[in-house]
Amino acid sequence: MALYLQAIVNGILIGGVYSLMAVGLSLIFGVMRVINFAHGDMMVWGMFLSFWLFTTLGVDPYLSILATGTAVFLLGAAVQRGLVSRILSAPHEMQILLMMGVALVLENVALMTWGPDPRRVNVSYGLTTFWLGPIVFDLPRLVTFGMALLLGLLLYLFLSRTDLGRMIRAASDNQTGALLVGTDILKVFTLAFGIGAACVGAAGSLMTPLLPFTPSSGILFTLTSFNIVIIGGMGNLLGAFVGGLLVGVSESLGAVLLVPSLKEIVGFVLLVLILLFRPQGLLGGRR
Amino acid sequence: MASNSRARGVDRRTLLKGMGAASAAGLVGFPAIVRAQAREIKIGSVQPMTGLLAVVGKTTRQANQLAVDHVNAEGGIKSMGGAKLVLVPGDHQYKPEVARAETERLMREGCHVLTGAFDSGSINAMIQVIKQSSNPIPFVIDIGSADQLTQQGVKYVFRVFTTNDTMGRRGIEYLMDLFKTSGDPCKRAVMFQVSDLFGQVGRERTMEWHKKLNAPFEVAEIITYPAGTQDLSTEVAKAKAAKPDLILAITRPNDAILLVQELYKQRLDVKAVVGPGNPGFYQPTFARALGKLAEHTMANAPWWNPKSALGQKVAADYEKRYGDPFTTESAWSYQGVRVIADILERAGTTDPDKFVEAARKTDIKEHVVSGGPIQFNEQGDNIGASSSMVQIREGRPRVIYPKEVAEIQPVYPIPKLWERG
Repeated sequence: MALYLQAIVNGILIGGVYSLMAVGLSLIFGVMRVINFAHGDMMVWGMFLSFWLFTTLGVDPYLSILATGTAVFLLGAAVQRGLVSRILSAPHEMQILLMMGVALVLENVALMTWGPDPRRVNVSYGLTTFWLGPIVFDLPRLVTFGMALLLGLLLYLFLSRTDLGRMIRAASDNQTGALLVGTDILKVFTLAFGIGAACVGAAGSLMTPLLPFTPSSGILFTLTSFNIVIIGGMGNLLGAFVGGLLVGVSESLGAVLLVPSLKEIVGFVLLVLILLFRPQGLLGGRR
Repeated sequence: MASNSRARGVDRRTLLKGMGAASAAGLVGFPAIVRAQAREIKIGSVQPMTGLLAVVGKTTRQANQLAVDHVNAEGGIKSMGGAKLVLVPGDHQYKPEVARAETERLMREGCHVLTGAFDSGSINAMIQVIKQSSNPIPFVIDIGSADQLTQQGVKYVFRVFTTNDTMGRRGIEYLMDLFKTSGDPCKRAVMFQVSDLFGQVGRERTMEWHKKLNAPFEVAEIITYPAGTQDLSTEVAKAKAAKPDLILAITRPNDAILLVQELYKQRLDVKAVVGPGNPGFYQPTFARALGKLAEHTMANAPWWNPKSALGQKVAADYEKRYGDPFTTESAWSYQGVRVIADILERAGTTDPDKFVEAARKTDIKEHVVSGGPIQFNEQGDNIGASSSMVQIREGRPRVIYPKEVAEIQPVYPIPKLWERG
């Protein structure tokens, strides 16, 4: 019994970060209908920036999310302005190829810059744990989960309470309508891509105390995010959050109930079921 | 580039015709022609330079290069008029289909010999290219452990590295000796295994020898997990429930770090953490990333020989040039190129069939790697190849088995992970 509880706890905690990762992807898709295949690589860039700030200046990764968030925001905005904006009306397969190309460039520049070694940010509390009965809680995972929730909440407030946020939602709901009332769509797109990237960059920083990473880790993060977004409902932010938790818990329980090497299958079986029976995703609306 | 390879092909054919038609005396003239031509000998080095195994590729390529530089500094291949070795880089990305394309490219560019490639799946793809080629070139595998690689009847393939079978056997033997001498044996093991081809073969061989040698401990549970996993917390919770006193872990570099982190967090009280025949624990990045937690972890691996003068010299050179300690990857990739140079020296030509002939007579007594003299058997395996057990001590892997080459006494049972300050 304790084992199952432990698995659920682990699943929820890792699921929180999955959620933050996926929210960015979902936001970008929701606004622009473009799937950011460089998503995981942007996350890896966030991780390496955090690692670099930690090793050179001793900045705690939980603080460096401000810097990495900003840096990856700029990266995302630049990718949008320079590349994505040119192919917004092109067919989907063109967009996918472009984003794959961006992913390749980001991965290999990271490889050239930081080398192929797995890195880990050795914060002093990185391995701190505490016990509640037989269940172990791991402090960085708990903090990471909390921060991911907080950032998710901030994003929600931004989108629902500020003018900029309303503009983004308007552009996402009805582009023509938004244009008609005078929204600067280009600006909104750049902003949305930037924010989506910033989310995943910040998620990268938050992950560094938990996970060793290498420049080639990106593709795995992209796949996980993509899976979560489809399960939750493409473009639906709450859906991405729920999807993240769901995938986290189901993988974790899968590792206990099935063979752990099959745990990733559980997430994808979920995906197939969703596509078969609820193609718009769990919380996907009208589209 | 292309014309170069064509020229070489014609030569070989001429040579073969010559062999068929002329008497032995007629042959004498040919090596002279080849010798005059090969001022530069191209070795294609196919390694995983990008992708999940990039950390390995960096090391193996560096070691290939160091050996090339050493050979050239010693005057090149003397029997061929001091011909210099040149390394032509290839990258298989840990993907067999890429390995295939890279091999074809290197052969087109006129490489005389191939070496590589660490990942058994990729090596297998390379062997297929050689098998199907009308102009095959020799392939000396520096690292690659799957037993079946050399069992396909391709005479141009030689393997310097230790097979999974030998590694599995040594791993269990060393553990049994460790338990016996300490008088405090482990009784119950949990095995972690990365679920790729390498992990699967490693587990099969280890379990096979565990049974054959009648090892006095039980493997209570085998926990397999996907390669490139981002989380092992639940797997470790599952292992803990089995109450092991020994962790056997067949890992890749990244998940080794993840695993030990979790063992610490979940307070697994074990007497030893051992890699029975795999990378992960001995790589410099492991100790660097984990510090004190990495201490006392053991790994059975084809290693370098710290008791050989040559080994010490090369290890020092390697560390000075690249800043990393000498390990499995660097030692065997270095030795791989040295074996090629040795064969070329005796063959006196780059002709593939002469190369194979000379390779069969290889007998290198002074080398840098684990095991006895390097000699190739019928199928092309190095019968001298063996493995050593190392333990991380003060951030460096030190040999504890076999006893003849041990640098240090093993620490066993290991101090608890969470009582290390």
